[in-house]
Amino acid sequence: MTDATLPAVADAGPGAVRRFFKAYPPFVILALVWIALTIVVAIFADLLKPYDFKALDLRDRLAEPVFMNGTFRHILGSDELGRDVLSRLIESIRMSLTIAFASTLITAAIGVGLGFLAAHFRGWVEQLVLGAIDFMAAIPFLIVALAVLAFFGNSLTLFILLMGMHGWERIARITRGLAIAAQEQGYASAAREIGASPWRVYGMHILPNIASTLIVAMTLNIPEVILLESGLSFLGLGVQPPLTSLGNMVGYGREYIQTAPWILLAPAIVITLTTLAVSILGDWLRDRFDPTLR
Amino acid sequence: MLSYVASRTGRAFLTILLVLTFAFFILQSTGDPAILILSADAPPEAIEAFRKEWGLDAPLWKQYLGYLWNLTGGNLGRSMRDGRDAWDVVSERIPITLAITLPALVIKVVIGISGGVLAALYRNTWIDRMVMAFAVTGYTVPSFVLGLMLMLVVSVQWGLLPSAGADSWRHAILPIITLGVAGAAVLARFTRSAMLEVLGQPYIRTGQAKGLMWRAVVTRHALPNAAIPTLTIVGFMIGSLVAGAVVVESVFAWPGVGRLLVSAVANRDLMVVQAILLLVTVTMVTSNLIVDVVYGLVDPRLRAARGGGSTS
Repeated sequence: MTDATLPAVADAGPGAVRRFFKAYPPFVILALVWIALTIVVAIFADLLKPYDFKALDLRDRLAEPVFMNGTFRHILGSDELGRDVLSRLIESIRMSLTIAFASTLITAAIGVGLGFLAAHFRGWVEQLVLGAIDFMAAIPFLIVALAVLAFFGNSLTLFILLMGMHGWERIARITRGLAIAAQEQGYASAAREIGASPWRVYGMHILPNIASTLIVAMTLNIPEVILLESGLSFLGLGVQPPLTSLGNMVGYGREYIQTAPWILLAPAIVITLTTLAVSILGDWLRDRFDPTLR
Repeated sequence: MLSYVASRTGRAFLTILLVLTFAFFILQSTGDPAILILSADAPPEAIEAFRKEWGLDAPLWKQYLGYLWNLTGGNLGRSMRDGRDAWDVVSERIPITLAITLPALVIKVVIGISGGVLAALYRNTWIDRMVMAFAVTGYTVPSFVLGLMLMLVVSVQWGLLPSAGADSWRHAILPIITLGVAGAAVLARFTRSAMLEVLGQPYIRTGQAKGLMWRAVVTRHALPNAAIPTLTIVGFMIGSLVAGAVVVESVFAWPGVGRLLVSAVANRDLMVVQAILLLVTVTMVTSNLIVDVVYGLVDPRLRAARGGGSTS
C-alpha cells in the first residue's frame, strides 16, 4: 500500500532526498516529531518531571522562568502557590493526551458499531441510526456538555465518556457508507458464502478494508477533542483540581496574566502546537490514504 | 417543495423536543436542586418548603408534563436563585452577546469569503499560502488562547485597550477580533475548497472556451455555485450567534448569554440553564432549517435526494 501511493518522481534531479521530502514534507516531519515528543513526555511523565506537580514551595512563589531571568530551580517558573510550572505542564500533557486518545477510541467504537448496525440490518434500524446522526449534528454539543458536566460533578471517567460522545456521528456516517459499498464487493460476499458469521465478515474482512479511512477520520477528531477538553477545563468545568490538564492550567493562569504570564504561556503554546501538529498529520494522512478522495 | 419544507420542519421540532427532554431528565436526575441550592445542612423544613414551592415533590413525569405545558404558554419557569422569570434573566443578556457576535460575523464573512476566493483564484501562489497559513493557524489556536494572547499583548504590554469588562465600546474590540479571526479562518478554508471544486468543473472550461472574460466566468458561473456549500457554514455561524461566544465571553468577562450559562451551571440554576438550552437549540435548529430550505430552493436536485441532515 505504501509503495503504490508514493508519488512518482522518477526524473527528479538529486533523487532520493528530493523524493523523500516530496513524500514527507518538512511540516509533516516536524508535526510527527512534536507528536512523538508529547507522547514520550506523556508516557515517561513520572521520570521527567523535576518535582511532584502538586508540591508547594511557598518560599519560591511566582518565580520567573529561565528565559525571563529566573533561575534553574524552576525552569518554567512557578505559580502563586510555588508549584513548579514545568512539572505541572508535563502532568497536564499526560492528562490531555490520555483524554484525547481514550475519548477518540470511544467515539470510534460507537461510530463503527452504529455504522455497521445500519449497514447490516438496513430498514428501520438504519433509519434510527440516521435519525440519531442527524440529532447529534443538530445539537449544540458544547452547551449540552457544559450542562451535563456541571450537574454531574467532577468525575474524570464521566468526563472522558462525555468527550467520547463528540463526533461519533461523522464516524458512523462514514462507516455506514463504506460498509454498504463493501458488501457489494466480492470479498465480503465470498466470506459470507462460505458461512462466515456477520461478526467475522464485519470484524475480519470489512473493517480492515475500510480502516484507512476510519483512521484518518479519527486523527482529525483528536485535535477537536483536545480543543473541547481544554475549553471546558479552561471554564473550570472539565478536569478538576487537584488533577491538572492543559486547559486547566491556562484557566488558572488567566488570573495572573498581569503579574505572571508564564503560567499560562507554556500550556497555551503546547495546546496550539499539539492541535496544529495533529491537524497537519491528519490532513496529510487523508491526502495520502483516503481512497474516497479522487 | 411543500412536503420537503414540512418534513424538515417536523424534524426540527423533534430535535428541539428531544434536546428539551434529554436536558430535563439529565438535569433533574443529578441531585436534588433543593439541597444543591439551600446546601445540605439546611433545616429539613426549609428543604421541604422549597421542594413544595418549586413543585419538586411531584413525580418526575408530572414535573416534565408540567414543564412542557408551561412552555406552550411561553412560561419558561423562574430562576431558582432570585425567583425572577427565567426568560427575563436570559433575554436581557441576548443584546449584550449580539453586540460582539454580530460585528464578528461581519468580519468572518468579509475576510473569510474574500480570503478563500482569492486563495482559490491564485492557487499555489504566495497569496494562497498566506491565506492557508492564516486559516490553519486560526483553526488550531483555541479561542481562549487567542483571546488571552491578544489581551497579553494589546492590554497588558501596550496598554491600548481594556482587558476585561463591558463598560464601553472599547471593551468590545478584543472579543470581536478574537471571535472574528477564528471564524474567518474556518470560512476561508471552506470557501477555498468549494471554489476550487467549482473551478475544476467542465462548465468553467466551456465558459472560457466560448471566449467569456475571466472576470465574467468567475462572477457569473464560479461564485454562485461555490456559494451554495459556503452558505451552510454561514448558516451555522448565524445559528451560533447567541451561544457561540461562551468561552470568549468568559475570557473577557463579557456579561452575555455565555457567561450567564457558565454561572447558572455553576449555581445549579436549573430553569435558567434549561431556558438557555432552549434558546440555543431553537436558534441553531431554525437557522439549519432555513439553510436547508434555501438549499432546496437554490438547488432542486437536493429536494428529494438528500437523506442526511445538514453538516455542521
